[in-house]
Amino acid sequence: MTPLGIALGMVFYLLQVVSGESGYAETGDFDDAEMDDYSFSCYSQLEVDGSQHLLTCAFDDPDVNSTNMEFEICGALLEVECLSFNKLQGMYLIKTKKFLLIGDSKICVKLGRKSVTCKKMNIVKIVKPEAPFDIRVVYRKGANDFVVTFNTSHLQKKYVKELMHEVAYRQEKNENDWMHMNLSSTKLMLLQRKLQPNAMYEIKVRSIPNTNYFEGFWSEWSPSFHFRTPETNDPGEMDPVLLIISILSFFSVALMVVLACVLWEKRIKPIIWPSIPDHKKTLEQLCKKPKKNLNVSFNPESFLDCQIHNVDGIQARDEAEGFLQDPLPPQLEESEKQRLGEGMQGPNRPSEHAGISPKTFRGESSFRCLAGNISVCDAPGIPFSRSPDCKEGGKNGPLLYQDLLLGPGTTNSTLPPLFPFQPGTLTLNPAAQGQSILTSLGSSQEEAYVTMSSFYQNQ
Amino acid sequence: MFHVSFRYIFGIPPLILVLLPVASFDCDIEGKDGGAYQNVLMVNINDLDSMIDFDSNCLNNEPNFFKKHSCDDNKEASFLYRAARKLKQFLKMNISDDFNLHLSTVSQGTLTLLNCTSKGKGRKPTSLGEAQPTKNLEENKSLKEQKKQNDLCFLKILLQKIKTCWNKILRGAKEH
Repeated sequence: MTPLGIALGMVFYLLQVVSGESGYAETGDFDDAEMDDYSFSCYSQLEVDGSQHLLTCAFDDPDVNSTNMEFEICGALLEVECLSFNKLQGMYLIKTKKFLLIGDSKICVKLGRKSVTCKKMNIVKIVKPEAPFDIRVVYRKGANDFVVTFNTSHLQKKYVKELMHEVAYRQEKNENDWMHMNLSSTKLMLLQRKLQPNAMYEIKVRSIPNTNYFEGFWSEWSPSFHFRTPETNDPGEMDPVLLIISILSFFSVALMVVLACVLWEKRIKPIIWPSIPDHKKTLEQLCKKPKKNLNVSFNPESFLDCQIHNVDGIQARDEAEGFLQDPLPPQLEESEKQRLGEGMQGPNRPSEHAGISPKTFRGESSFRCLAGNISVCDAPGIPFSRSPDCKEGGKNGPLLYQDLLLGPGTTNSTLPPLFPFQPGTLTLNPAAQGQSILTSLGSSQEEAYVTMSSFYQNQ
Repeated sequence: MFHVSFRYIFGIPPLILVLLPVASFDCDIEGKDGGAYQNVLMVNINDLDSMIDFDSNCLNNEPNFFKKHSCDDNKEASFLYRAARKLKQFLKMNISDDFNLHLSTVSQGTLTLLNCTSKGKGRKPTSLGEAQPTKNLEENKSLKEQKKQNDLCFLKILLQKIKTCWNKILRGAKEH
């Protein structure tokens, strides 16, 4: 009897346990086919209005006759067992703070008091975040990229704080060619080289829960933002200031090269590589030029137009002394005047003769000039400090030339006497003339030096 | 002999049924990965802590509840179970709707996660404190205030104990 009692007791116990755990099948009266007609889906939005949550359900088939249909959620609620949905334009909504957010809930479609279909759902596994907003794109010229930023309301929420964002962008002319990028922050950098230059782009973003506890669906897309990429995409584009400076530098260098080529011979080369001066030219430059049209040259051809006459020095001296001491007889004065008139302007010329520059008579070359062919005076190597004016020389020179010209060769001279000779003072006796000439020359040389020195003194 | 059989049939099974809830305390703790605790329970406990902003006025005397129950090894589930049921008593304070919602979330959420099979519906929940004899109005007001302070202190300590015990459970789950 004891084992029988125990067995019965166990049977009673099992009956109670089984009846307590098993649920009442609420959907057992309907077929599966009918349940599929009323299939529905739901999504939740946490903290959508302060601390209130939103649960939205709708039939999958929009053509379902939802008249008198109601939705009800039971389980995983605070302080209550079940809550009823509100119907709004074919959708069923419930807004409440009383979601436990732990454990499963059962959502049923009810027709009257009977449940048409039910579904077990976990509120935290059907979370649909709110759509991002305020998307902006800023171009950074220095970095050659675009900074994309956007905002989301979940940054201030307590439960669903971590989200995964998806950014989609396309060129407006390519309708379905979307590029996608995932990120967990609210800031993104798009490289300029990955985009087409001077093109219009459209960009948008959406979010999904990214935690190990909250799961769900993609949010709605944010409002699109349109932006245009810059025209030039040349990495080698130069700064305008730098371009101007480089052009100016180039032209400056070119100008300096041209000036160097032009002034090379005249200015630059003499400074860098000075030439050895030519002594002839240097002397010519150093000679003084007291008068204009003064011909300074060692070339005898430049004196062709000058009248160079052989001068009888003694006769000239005597006549000069005669002019100074005694007045001449009128006949002689007339003849003198005639003769003087040929070559001279006036009788009083000794002092002026002294003014002729004794520099023109220097040393042997002058004697040589006088003794030789006196028609042409060749005085090599001796520069004239004061070149004789050919006209004046023709007028004033004869006296002095006559004073110095007397020499052995003078008998062959063909020069006409320019001064009137005193009769008797000079006869054409070659020997006597020669000796007298020599002696007169010797004295005349001294006298010439005296005369020249007196010229200096007179000067 | 027949009397003995009836005693066994109608005596022992009810006795077994009555004693089972006392003898067994089987809880299958869910959410040992810490997702529900970190994302829901801890958020509400921190909100309650921010609402209870008096530390200095709490009595240093540990309430009797903690002397009887603690989060010892292999007793974490029972402690959390009793702590969660204790939280429901603070709903009577009616501080605010949000305060009650947070309390309910922590309490019911803990019980849901514990998933204990022993419901213990027949037992009466212990009260927060003994009823004081009626006195004059001023004394009643001060006593009420003092009682409220004591209850809030108790709540604050209780919430800390719940957090500590949950951390211990999750730490143990990670080690295993």
